[in-house]
Amino acid sequence: MTYNIAMVSDFFFPQPGGIESHIYQLSTKLIDRGHKVIIITHAYKGRTGVRYLTNGLKVYHVPFFVIYRESTMPTVFSFFPIFRNIVIREQIQIVHGHASLSSFCHEAILHARTMGLRTVFTDHSLFGFADAASILTNKLLKFILSDVDHVICVSHTCKENTVLRASLDPLMVSVIPNAVVAENFRPPEPRPMPSIAPNDIITIVVISRLFYNKGTDLLIAAIPRILASHPNVRFIIAGSGPKAIDLEQMLERNVLQDKVEMLGSVRHEEVRDVMIRGHIYLHPSLTEAFGTVLVEAASCGLYVVCTRVGGIPEVLPQHMTTFAKPEEDDIVLATGKAIAALRSNKVRTDRFHDQVKMMYSWTDVAHRTERVYKGISGDISPEEFYGYYPGQGWEAGRDRVRSFALIDRLKRYYGCGVWAGKLFCLCVVIDFLLYVFLEMWFPRANIDIARSWPKKIHQDNKRLGSTDKDRLGPAS
Amino acid sequence: MPSLPDSPPPVPPPVPVETHPNRTVGGKPIAQRALPDPTRLAPEDAYYTSSLPRARPTTGYDESLRVLNGNAASVAALRPPPAVPLGSCKVRGTSRRRRRKGAWKKLLWVKQSYPDNYTDTETFLDHLQRNPRVRPYDFWPLVADSTVIVQHVSSVAIFVCCFVGIVQGRVSPVSVVCWGSVGTALGWIFWDSWILGEHVENAHVAERALEGDDGSSSSSMTSSVNPPGTSSRANGQKESQVHGLGLSMAQGESDLGRRHSTGYVGDAYGAQEPASPPGPSNGTFSGSHEPDMSSMFSSRNRQRLSTVKSAFLIYFSLLGLSPILKSLTKSTASDSIWAMSCWLLIINIFSFDYGSGEGAGATKFPASLSTNAAVMASTVLASRLPSTTHVFSLMLFSIEVFGLFPIFRRQLRHVSWTGHVLLTLGLVSVAGGAVGITLRGGWAAAVVGSILGSILTALGMGGCSWWLISLQKYKNVVTGPWDPARPVIRRHWD
Repeated sequence: MTYNIAMVSDFFFPQPGGIESHIYQLSTKLIDRGHKVIIITHAYKGRTGVRYLTNGLKVYHVPFFVIYRESTMPTVFSFFPIFRNIVIREQIQIVHGHASLSSFCHEAILHARTMGLRTVFTDHSLFGFADAASILTNKLLKFILSDVDHVICVSHTCKENTVLRASLDPLMVSVIPNAVVAENFRPPEPRPMPSIAPNDIITIVVISRLFYNKGTDLLIAAIPRILASHPNVRFIIAGSGPKAIDLEQMLERNVLQDKVEMLGSVRHEEVRDVMIRGHIYLHPSLTEAFGTVLVEAASCGLYVVCTRVGGIPEVLPQHMTTFAKPEEDDIVLATGKAIAALRSNKVRTDRFHDQVKMMYSWTDVAHRTERVYKGISGDISPEEFYGYYPGQGWEAGRDRVRSFALIDRLKRYYGCGVWAGKLFCLCVVIDFLLYVFLEMWFPRANIDIARSWPKKIHQDNKRLGSTDKDRLGPAS
Repeated sequence: MPSLPDSPPPVPPPVPVETHPNRTVGGKPIAQRALPDPTRLAPEDAYYTSSLPRARPTTGYDESLRVLNGNAASVAALRPPPAVPLGSCKVRGTSRRRRRKGAWKKLLWVKQSYPDNYTDTETFLDHLQRNPRVRPYDFWPLVADSTVIVQHVSSVAIFVCCFVGIVQGRVSPVSVVCWGSVGTALGWIFWDSWILGEHVENAHVAERALEGDDGSSSSSMTSSVNPPGTSSRANGQKESQVHGLGLSMAQGESDLGRRHSTGYVGDAYGAQEPASPPGPSNGTFSGSHEPDMSSMFSSRNRQRLSTVKSAFLIYFSLLGLSPILKSLTKSTASDSIWAMSCWLLIINIFSFDYGSGEGAGATKFPASLSTNAAVMASTVLASRLPSTTHVFSLMLFSIEVFGLFPIFRRQLRHVSWTGHVLLTLGLVSVAGGAVGITLRGGWAAAVVGSILGSILTALGMGGCSWWLISLQKYKNVVTGPWDPARPVIRRHWD
């Protein structure tokens, strides 16, 4: 069973970033598995209309008004006509939205439900509950996710967060991590001698945007102390941001220019070349939903020192990491421990690449995402998809299979809040009327069906199928 | 389950344990987990202050989690509650699962034989904390703290009543400003003596710390200047505030004197540093007592002189500006002026800095937005008045009420709590009387107004305090591992 899937997000290439590459990699692997995938995003500068990427991945760049950091203006209804057109042209069955800050994705999920399509939402980030911006975003997310069929989160912490923010049924939220293309993050060839002499230079790599929430303040405070207590240590810092000035001031004040190399921002494909110059990867972030860069660093054969925040503790096994509290003293301590561990040659960093390759792969991610698609389309029975645990209080399939009846949808939206519920119901009713109007004004019969990209038979299908059976064993 | 949960992974990663400091993976005693962390406070603790905060029933946790899932995340009334199995299902669930397959781990890198949407009943949301930093309120301290607000609102009411009296011709503007100025002068004298007392006492303490509490040669002199109540207080962080207040009294010139005085004292301290232990002197006073005292008095005198100078400066510049202010809003309708000044005074009341002036914000002055709003309100109000004398009087009065009086009030609260309460009582009754006169006229109305105003204020203070305490049960701060961590950094170079 294959599906026609539309990935919708504000964030896609040519803009670089984690969500962008997630969408691209997932789509490519889904196409490899025989599905038809298109991507809908807003028009970037010099990129409007339809584009084809590798493997026949079709990208619609819809002209839209961008307000802030490549997020489109949240107009509730204006995306509907062109969205309906694309969906009918491409015979879409499942709409998959990405990123909770993308209003494009929210609108698409709303309209898709109105049109009677199944929807999936992937959350990539963590939000608090305290500040005004979070409260607003959370309310919006609740509106959208009241009627979504399934949600995917990138880590268990992210799942807890999303379940609380949107008051979802936890069984409707799957955890599917990000992955890395391990081939792009190979350790240097030929492999270096794994043993480190006591007086060898150990290089610590830091690659992050230099923002407050990436913990640059901790980095600034920790670097002089680490360098003072370990004379044979050097730093390489890549990335730019508002905190870069503070970092440079620290270097000048402590006269550390010969021990700390600042590279400025590096492109994603150069990250590996920077990483393989070091032995330890230091990641002092203050919040992180998944932390793909940690996996990349471990894949390059670096020992990872990171803060124990967000979803980071779930990402890597303990023999690859040293955790620290988000405190200056603890980071200094943990880095010291990591240096000592490397110097005593206890850490087999040369095996990291193969181990990471076994842990994370996009093929696996695509496979697990496919199971979600099957579950919401009814190709797996609800009992099987949501799990059937008699006597545990898990009631399978009560309201999890979302019906498309307008009254049921309105019931779900109405519960979003005393005032918000009524407002959301109003929006949904208007959206429905708009749909009826569009059906009359631009009838389906007048919309051409786009021809699909010719599929090639994937030779790995058989092998994939067998591994899939292993993975899905308990569920089947 | 035909999968291979027992087949070892192809690479040998050690089996994970303990990904979080307070999370253990293996067999966990269930009863222990059901207990809430005793160091955390729940909103009930804020609500029932009299009861022991720790002695909550253990069943309260599941209850509270259910409340949280249904309330804080505000689940729809029409939707089924989230299917997080709680409490009762826990025991059976774990035993069952143990039998079925290996324990689920909250890890992403392990290939587990559970579906992706599996929700573990034990670890799901186990790092969630509710109200981790709630501080329960007590009734009487809350009432006591609300006196600050009452004081400010009363002084604003008095100002407005004075303006109405002036506009209606019932009160002479000159008498208003004269009374105001007399009050200001008195306040300044008090304030100056407090400052002096603090200085002397600080010096005294420093000297005691240095000489081992034997040389009290100047104690008779200091006690004569000390107002009652000052000597009992610790004077750790008063110094900065003292200087700060000196600045606001005399804007331009005293700044120079102030800087000079601090510079001198700092130098003296630097010279004496090797001998002086880091005692309670707060690092500003030297050991050599006599010359320092004399220089300090002279610096105080210099400061007084500059204060008087700047007072005259303000006086004359206001006098010069009054004709301009009088015709400032001639082309604007009176209604707009009333509305505008209303809003400005409301802004003043809401943005006023009611803080105690201790700790971090010790040198902060009453928030500038608030003061600016008040001065602007009085400016537009003054432009409605008929003559230059009226305008001048009202402006001077407003500067006294909104600019200088808050400083005095803050210092008074700092120095003597009895004085603070008496001032509050006086202000409330005067404000009530003024409102009574304004509304009805006559002394009888004033008496009735002041009594009624006092009663209403007392009721309001008590009622609002009680209300705030009773609202605490709705407090529901949810924190968890998804919140951005607060970095702990020791500043070395600042």
